[in-house]
Amino acid sequence: MSDVLSILVSTIVLGSIYGLVALGMTLIYGILRVLDMSQGSMVMIGGFVGWAVMTSAGLSPVLAIAAAFAATFCFGVLTQVVSVQPLIGRRGTDFEMITFITTFAVAMVLANLALQFFGPRQKNVPELVSGSIHLYESVSLPYQSIVMTAVAVALMLAFALFLNRSRFGIAIRAVAQDLDAARLMGVPIRRVFPLVMGFASAIAGVAGVFLATQYFASPTAGDQPLLIALIVVIFGGLGSLQGAIGAAYAIGLIQAAASVWVSTTWALPILYGVIVLVLVIRPHGIAGRSLEARL
Amino acid sequence: MTRRPNPLHATFAPEKVAIGAALAVLAALVPLIYPSTYGIGVMVTMLVFVVLNISWNFLLGIAGVWNFGQLAMFAVGGYGGGLLIIHASLPPWLAIAAGGVGGALLAVLLALPTLRLYGIYTSLLTFAAAQVVQLLIQNDTSGTTGGALGLPQVEGLFGGLDPLWSARAWYWLCLAFVIVVAAGLALLVRTPFGLALRTLRDSSAYAAARGIDPRRYRVLAFALSGAVAGVAGALYTLYNGSISPTVMGLTPMSIYVTMIVIGGLGTIAGPIVGTVLVTIVQQALIDHPGTQMTVLGVVLIAIVVFVPRGIAFEAGKLRDRVVRWMNEEEEAPPAGAVAAGSSQSQESRLLAGREGS
Repeated sequence: MSDVLSILVSTIVLGSIYGLVALGMTLIYGILRVLDMSQGSMVMIGGFVGWAVMTSAGLSPVLAIAAAFAATFCFGVLTQVVSVQPLIGRRGTDFEMITFITTFAVAMVLANLALQFFGPRQKNVPELVSGSIHLYESVSLPYQSIVMTAVAVALMLAFALFLNRSRFGIAIRAVAQDLDAARLMGVPIRRVFPLVMGFASAIAGVAGVFLATQYFASPTAGDQPLLIALIVVIFGGLGSLQGAIGAAYAIGLIQAAASVWVSTTWALPILYGVIVLVLVIRPHGIAGRSLEARL
Repeated sequence: MTRRPNPLHATFAPEKVAIGAALAVLAALVPLIYPSTYGIGVMVTMLVFVVLNISWNFLLGIAGVWNFGQLAMFAVGGYGGGLLIIHASLPPWLAIAAGGVGGALLAVLLALPTLRLYGIYTSLLTFAAAQVVQLLIQNDTSGTTGGALGLPQVEGLFGGLDPLWSARAWYWLCLAFVIVVAAGLALLVRTPFGLALRTLRDSSAYAAARGIDPRRYRVLAFALSGAVAGVAGALYTLYNGSISPTVMGLTPMSIYVTMIVIGGLGTIAGPIVGTVLVTIVQQALIDHPGTQMTVLGVVLIAIVVFVPRGIAFEAGKLRDRVVRWMNEEEEAPPAGAVAAGSSQSQESRLLAGREGS
């Protein structure tokens, strides 16, 4: 019973954070056909901004989240302008593969700049809120987790509202559905692309603050979330927002169950095994459709 | 096409062969001119990575399969060879061959689930599979692989020689592997098999219409590439006397991909040029370890944006221009012959672009 309960609790917490990171990746893929490998760096940068605001400057966690959002938004736009925009429409190269490589290069640069700047030591980031509720036997639920889950779910909902209701969000979805038609309707494609990557990165940055309070801020803090986000988006089907969020919780569940019932060192290999299986059985993920390359 | 031209005949320009042979001889002389055990050691490691990168580039650039799991084959070859030497006391030469067999077997295993996938999904699956291999090696608690610490104390080759001559012997051995693999690949891309692979890459629908079975060719390409990567892994283990899970993962992968892309994806000379250049950059920045990856990352983006075909391709164009210029000097042919000559050189340039030099 306590096993099941603790699995459920960590499923919801892990799933919400993974959902945030994966949401950005799947959105960028849906719109730009770019598998953005720099999303892990955005998580890392978010963590460092959180550390700088909360620990160094001693300001409130709300400010830290806002600052991380703003900083990673800028980094996301910059990444798009430097490593994706010049390659759009280029003939003779495979856009998806080459941007996979360039965004990866951005991740390399950002991780090593962080290493130069902050050093290899892990930085402790204080909890957003302290205290916990006792649930059952040895299982307790920290307020921290509740806040994180609430903010993550709120962000996801806000994002869904933004995409479905706002003029700009509708423009983004139009681009994802049909590039040429969107262009004919007067959507300024060249401006949509950087902003999409900015927003996606900003969400990953917020997830980075959460992860840093849970673990540490360090130059390699983005690697694990990036790998998990990759797993989530494959599982959910690249480009599918609902698929990504559903898959985030499914992956959270698998990881939590594997950690409790097998061992934490085997959680990741089990996840990768599951993903290989999913790809063999359903090549485009659970909710994915086969998408044609464009651009 | 009624008459199939001999694929191994016409497309090898004699000057290309001459340049290749001259470069190989020059490369073989380097350790004699430069008698530094450390320096030669760096070059040996570089040559091992050249072998790995050629095998990787074969899948990525020539077959057009987005395989990002090549390091799994490298590691399996390395661990397999090392374990066979430790436990079965196999002679090192056989261990190298066994590494190749291990790499090929894993590559075929990896190729099978990718058959239904294309594009980015292939890269994700292969990458995930490589992560599984790394984590399996790292989390092994039975003591076979040595876990995170790695496989220690593999007795290598040339132990009886003094350090300098041992380094030289290693250099020549690895250079021989590079030459054999590069020349073999240059031949292979000109055979019907190589042509079929390139057709599958450029136009899979057309290839299928011409009766090329994508599955069979992809599995074969994986097997060949995996065998070479496994040999590279076994060489790595034998040379270093050890191997650890850190040969895999995101950072090594990014370095090798940088090497291949800088040199020129899908060219024969590309991985060689790229690996040499990146190794030089790494050695130049060895006193500033933090800046290495930053510089490499910036260079990678700059190359992709400004020199998308890679350095080997641009160098090939330059060489063609020089050759044309030399031909013009020699003889001033009549106007008709100039037109024919230039169209032919354009064709050969196209070929060079596809196949490298």
